[in-house]
Amino acid sequence: MSHSISRRDFFKTGAVAGITIHISMFASPASGTLVNNGEPPPADWLDGKDTPRFRVDAIQKVTGAKTFTRDFRARDIPGWPKEQSHAFLIRVARADRVFEGVDLSVLGEDLQPDRLVFAEDLQRDGVSMPHADFYGEWFLVPRGKTPHLLGEPVALLIYKDFDRFDAAKRRIQFDETVVRYGAVTGPNPPPNYGAARYVRIEGATPDAPDESSPIRDSIIFAGFKDDQPQWPQPSRTGDPMARGMAAATRIEKEFAAAGDDALILRRSYTSQSIDASAMETDNGNVWYDPATQILSMMIATQSPFEVAERAAEMLSKSKFAARKVDLKCGHTVGYGTKDHHVFPLFAVLAGLYGEGRPVRLANDRFEQFQMGLKRHAFWMKYALLVDRKTHGFRAMQGEFKCDGGGRANYSMTVGMVGATAAQSIYYLPRSDFSVATLASHAVEGGSMRGFGTLQTMSATEMLVDEAAQALEIDAIDLRLKNVFRTGMKNTQGAVPIGALRNDEILERAKVHPMWTERATRKMKYDSANPGRRYGVGFAHVQKDYGTGGEAAIATLEVDPDGRVTLRHVATEIGTGTTTSQPIIAGRILGRVPDRTFYGVVEWPEMPLTASEQQFTMSQAMEDKLARNPRWTPSFTSPMSASNSAFFLGHATRESARALVRFGLWPAALRLWGRSATAAPSLGYQDLRVVDGKLVAGTLEPLSFARVAAKAHELGLVTGVSVHTFNRWEWAEAEFDVPDGGRLRLPVDALALKYGAGASSSRKSKMKDGGYHFIERAAVFYPPTQLNNAGTRYYAPMATLVEVAVNLGSGKVDVLSHHSILDPGPPIVAELISGQVQGGIAMGIGHALHEYLPLYEDGPGNGTWNWNRYQLPRGNDVAVWHQSAESLEPKSPGDLPKGMAEVTVIAVIPAIANAIHHAIGVRFYDFPITPDKIKAALS
Amino acid sequence: MTITTRALSLTVNGKAVGPVEVPETTMMIDFLHEQLNLTGSRLGCGIGVCHACTVILDHPDGRSEEWRTCITGAHFFAGKSVRTIEGHAQRDERGEVVKLTPVQQAFIEGFAFQCGYCTPGFVTGATVLLDQLKRQPVARQDIERVIHAALDRHICRCTGYVRYYEAVRKVVLATPGLVKD
Amino acid sequence: MRRWIRIVLVFAGLGVLAFATLHFGVLERSVVAADLDSPLSSEELGKLAARGRYLVVAADCYACHTYKDGPAWAGGLPFETPFGEIHATNITPDPEYGIGKWTRRDFHRALRDGIAPGGRHLYPAMPYVSYRDLTADDVDAIYAYLMAQEPVNRPNVANDLTFPNNIRSLVGAWNLFALRDPEQPDAAKSTAWNRGRYLTNALGHCGECHTPRNFMMAMKRDRYLEGGIIDGVEAPDITRDTLALVGFEPDGLARFMRLGVSSVGSMTGPMFEVVHFSTQYLDDADLTAMAAYLLGEPPPPVKPIMPAKVSVKVSESGQRTWFALCAGCHGIEGQGVPHVSVPMRSNSSLRIPSARGFLTSVMHGIAQQDFPGLERMQAMPGFAEHLSDQEIADLATWMRAIWGGQGAAVTAAEVAKLRSSI
Repeated sequence: MSHSISRRDFFKTGAVAGITIHISMFASPASGTLVNNGEPPPADWLDGKDTPRFRVDAIQKVTGAKTFTRDFRARDIPGWPKEQSHAFLIRVARADRVFEGVDLSVLGEDLQPDRLVFAEDLQRDGVSMPHADFYGEWFLVPRGKTPHLLGEPVALLIYKDFDRFDAAKRRIQFDETVVRYGAVTGPNPPPNYGAARYVRIEGATPDAPDESSPIRDSIIFAGFKDDQPQWPQPSRTGDPMARGMAAATRIEKEFAAAGDDALILRRSYTSQSIDASAMETDNGNVWYDPATQILSMMIATQSPFEVAERAAEMLSKSKFAARKVDLKCGHTVGYGTKDHHVFPLFAVLAGLYGEGRPVRLANDRFEQFQMGLKRHAFWMKYALLVDRKTHGFRAMQGEFKCDGGGRANYSMTVGMVGATAAQSIYYLPRSDFSVATLASHAVEGGSMRGFGTLQTMSATEMLVDEAAQALEIDAIDLRLKNVFRTGMKNTQGAVPIGALRNDEILERAKVHPMWTERATRKMKYDSANPGRRYGVGFAHVQKDYGTGGEAAIATLEVDPDGRVTLRHVATEIGTGTTTSQPIIAGRILGRVPDRTFYGVVEWPEMPLTASEQQFTMSQAMEDKLARNPRWTPSFTSPMSASNSAFFLGHATRESARALVRFGLWPAALRLWGRSATAAPSLGYQDLRVVDGKLVAGTLEPLSFARVAAKAHELGLVTGVSVHTFNRWEWAEAEFDVPDGGRLRLPVDALALKYGAGASSSRKSKMKDGGYHFIERAAVFYPPTQLNNAGTRYYAPMATLVEVAVNLGSGKVDVLSHHSILDPGPPIVAELISGQVQGGIAMGIGHALHEYLPLYEDGPGNGTWNWNRYQLPRGNDVAVWHQSAESLEPKSPGDLPKGMAEVTVIAVIPAIANAIHHAIGVRFYDFPITPDKIKAALS
Repeated sequence: MTITTRALSLTVNGKAVGPVEVPETTMMIDFLHEQLNLTGSRLGCGIGVCHACTVILDHPDGRSEEWRTCITGAHFFAGKSVRTIEGHAQRDERGEVVKLTPVQQAFIEGFAFQCGYCTPGFVTGATVLLDQLKRQPVARQDIERVIHAALDRHICRCTGYVRYYEAVRKVVLATPGLVKD
Repeated sequence: MRRWIRIVLVFAGLGVLAFATLHFGVLERSVVAADLDSPLSSEELGKLAARGRYLVVAADCYACHTYKDGPAWAGGLPFETPFGEIHATNITPDPEYGIGKWTRRDFHRALRDGIAPGGRHLYPAMPYVSYRDLTADDVDAIYAYLMAQEPVNRPNVANDLTFPNNIRSLVGAWNLFALRDPEQPDAAKSTAWNRGRYLTNALGHCGECHTPRNFMMAMKRDRYLEGGIIDGVEAPDITRDTLALVGFEPDGLARFMRLGVSSVGSMTGPMFEVVHFSTQYLDDADLTAMAAYLLGEPPPPVKPIMPAKVSVKVSESGQRTWFALCAGCHGIEGQGVPHVSVPMRSNSSLRIPSARGFLTSVMHGIAQQDFPGLERMQAMPGFAEHLSDQEIADLATWMRAIWGGQGAAVTAAEVAKLRSSI
């Protein structure tokens, strides 16, 4: 699935239309309490070894330091003018009629804006929306046109001072006389975004090649007639899509032909659109200086590259001359929905019209509801075919629709990922999952925690629970019978990587008291609490992580005094990557980096070109380009898709391993001298860290500083930079490492730095940013066909939940919950636990509280906020009655999994299943509100 | 309509501020952000629901109270003494943090937050709770209840409350005189 | 409604013992016809139950007979009174603690005569004075519905009343003054008007709260619906002229009863619960009928409000408080925020002669309320602790003058009095 738009132009030329781009995580000038890139972390942040006592950014965050972009104004940014302007957008609350203009008479004379911008101005100045097929046709709705979506901006108002800005905005915001509308035309959304279908029929045995599957044949794509996907004609001998359709027909026939020996369960589910409600709303400061032709920005985003390049693209086509684009981000981006969103481009727009002054554009909460990315509403039709004797699943069909709203964004991808996740934790011999991603005049959906899988897996877990009831067997037994095991193929025909341990999780859940005692607990509770009903629910899901095109860079360097510096592409969105990356390095090196730089984008030591077509490129084209040892499919990825621990961590791990192998280990050997040669069996992989000292076998423990000094003295490797790429497997390459011979490493680019004692000939090779870029001798990229795999990395989690339903009020209380997960070896246990607790809270909100109408009454009308939109509170999440257990890593070699998204999901269907246990009623649409329960009970 | 301003003087984190001309309609959060450059009190909802923007109002009699700055006019605080999140920890003359409060220390050691946007509000709410418990100690079995009563109005979107609540309980139990035995 | 038992007990406490004993029960007239002795067949009960469901909602039985988050109809809602506490009873069909053993006639007697099986007088917290106007058919339907509910074997909480208030038969004496013959349909008025009167007076028993009481603490029939005070909370005058004065036309009034919130403000306190449990579920036709009855046919025209004069000193003081504590939610010009806070410039509490309701909200705030549909309003804080009597008085005077057209100044003394009384 694509988390990236082509950046080919940029990287081919090193710039967009000659505009150079500089991006960095912000190092603040203000008092030292700020999270300062490159500043050493607090002295006492480690437990003395390699485990943090608190987050590296904890002190800043707990003392109110400026950590978010939202905390900054022009005056705080070095080199910027101290004075700035403030802007806001006027947005439509109706999208079914012509926009005719705005009437600002309500502002009187004094509050008229210093600069007022309409679509006509943009047209005149050649300012147009970059990648309109992704971000929408226009910035501002032109007069005489019907908006594409609710909440679409029509005018930009800029004020030179805050007070008049504030007064004007408060006057205008809810005044229905300001925007003038004309003829009613009905909604005017863009064309539907697309339809995709994944059909698979297994071979004779699960291990045999599939008869048909997306990997073998193809994902099936379709256009639309109205809102109906027009699938290709089936043909067993036709092209790959036709063959896939033929398989779909066979599965349909199997359902039709099923007899009494089979159970067929057909159910429909809906999942609502919700607001991510990231605490930090979208915001930014942008300064366009016509004198220097530099566009300076500080904008909250999880995809800084994307923002900088689109901004450069905007300017290159406009009358605003620019030679440099400079983007800064706050240390933390406020938790989600800031990946590839259109808002930063509006901030740029405001900057362009600031008349040389920095301009701040910042959503308030009403505006964030009106414009922020939403979780897609899904409508899901399921059919499950189960053998009544064996209880084995024979086939599953899923027909999904989702509403992407009025801007394309990632809706198509979200739909596809939702379809590939629908199998949840089950092996399906035959499966047919299709999704139609529709456009509408709703606020757009996009990349949000769960990415489509939350909706489909929740439905599957409710369906399986109901199937168990129909088959009169234990719901966990039915799951065990059909569980997806290591080596089996997913519904795309791909074999997941690593051990799948869903069966172990199920076995643990099965014996948990909450499950084994559910009948007696219910009896006890119900009789002790008249008018209330107790129920237990279980659900178990596995969430893909990564995008199938994950790229990262890390550089580790040690100085002669043993001080370690880490430079990394990662940025902080709250989950703690700036805490965990140095810990990863420390556990391999024996010393946690003393200095860290994040959000780094200038990599002179990695002189690579990237085509950024990693999801769409043909095998032939990739093979051709890969012959260039300085080419890579993708340079680096945004912070998303739970990619920090595993994918970004891989770059950290490999650079640390290489530093040990080519620098620290040979240095240590020299220090051990004869005694080491006496133990020839020892190799670099035997190097261990004990009490901060490097040891191997029975050899004398060495201080890190001593080893580092030796490495420099001997001119060994003292710095390592790696570029990594993953397309559901790691790209590998062979390198001729000085003194190391030809080695195959799980990276596609490698650069080394040598210590002072290195020979001049070796030093002369350090031409790229002081590094010796070693051109690979050979490279092995995963086949492009794997783009059809959907995913091969899964992180599993199951949740048991106890609820009580109030028969009178219909209110559901979550009494307790317990989760079982397989996160791999934890980097920082507390960070995982926080993810689990936070994810479950979010899931409870989706299941019981959070709801938005899609259209006229919904967030696009600009009147939504957290009074009507109910977020889960401390009282709603069973604060004191929740627990979680993690499977122990299978082997020391196990790697951490991306857990950030899976934690949200299982609790949602678990609650629905628990409510059924409590009152005997099944609900098929979220959220399950008191009104729905009351209606069902009366 | 012209913007009418009025002179405003108050005490913020122990320092006298003003008199400074402030529009009579300006909200306290905007005064803190735009005029004093104290941006730790965060704008979440702007309608007094999420409590990310709260500060402590210190009364002359020693009582302290939690106030929402997003729905309260700046001039309400005229002549009053306000403690923002920036004013909790001890700092040296250079403004560097030298000592955290017990609540802050418990929050960082408990990994109570991830993105940290709501943290200033939680520090404020928990600090006010401790102040109240000093006046009216609570029975052991009521600790969880009073923590909910004090913090339920605070919204956290990413870390699920557990670690905040546990950290506050830890401080309450560890601070002499807050719990009746 | 639930709170005015206190008033009755005031009366009972007045020791009209002598008078009462004189007439002991002998003059009590039942409106329950003899033909109601014949029990209803299970088929009849089945048919009636569906209609009964709507009627119990219109009669708002649930609000009193179900304690918060407790089992439906199992009673227990406490009524605090100066004379002790009494509790609404279990009206599930539980034979031991509920009405499971009640006959059709028992039920009619309780609802319309205020006398439970065994001749036990109900305390008039149970609005039988209003329910007396219910038709026999409707009472049958309510009976059928309740009998079809899940029995809850929950004992009734013993009332805790002091002598002589615990002598139930005293109530029988009081009934002589309070009870009267049922209202007959008014042929001169439309069907809608008559239906509206029945819904308002009988089922909705609105008069119980909204009518002032005479020296006997019975509803003043001549001042019906002119407003009462329960537990210090004002149940406003809802007669047609006042309703028109605060800006209601029939549609707006019907919508207000359905949604609990409109440009004139939001339902608060006990009235919010009436919307929550009762009026939001009524048919449009019934709400329209109630509006027709309350506003009359034809309804009076809504007059625009003319701002009243207010001194510079007061308006400066009032405005300062407004910007400091009110404008943040209600908008700089009192325009409110849609779906978040009600506008004040059209708020009914500012347009009526009495400032009591407004002052109560300012001083003590309003709890968070979930309105029908997707409406929800966060709590309004009370400012009694943060404003002086004079500041509150100035704020009220200023707002009532500019937005309510009420020229009479609110004095600090009034505020102080209210402060101490609540």
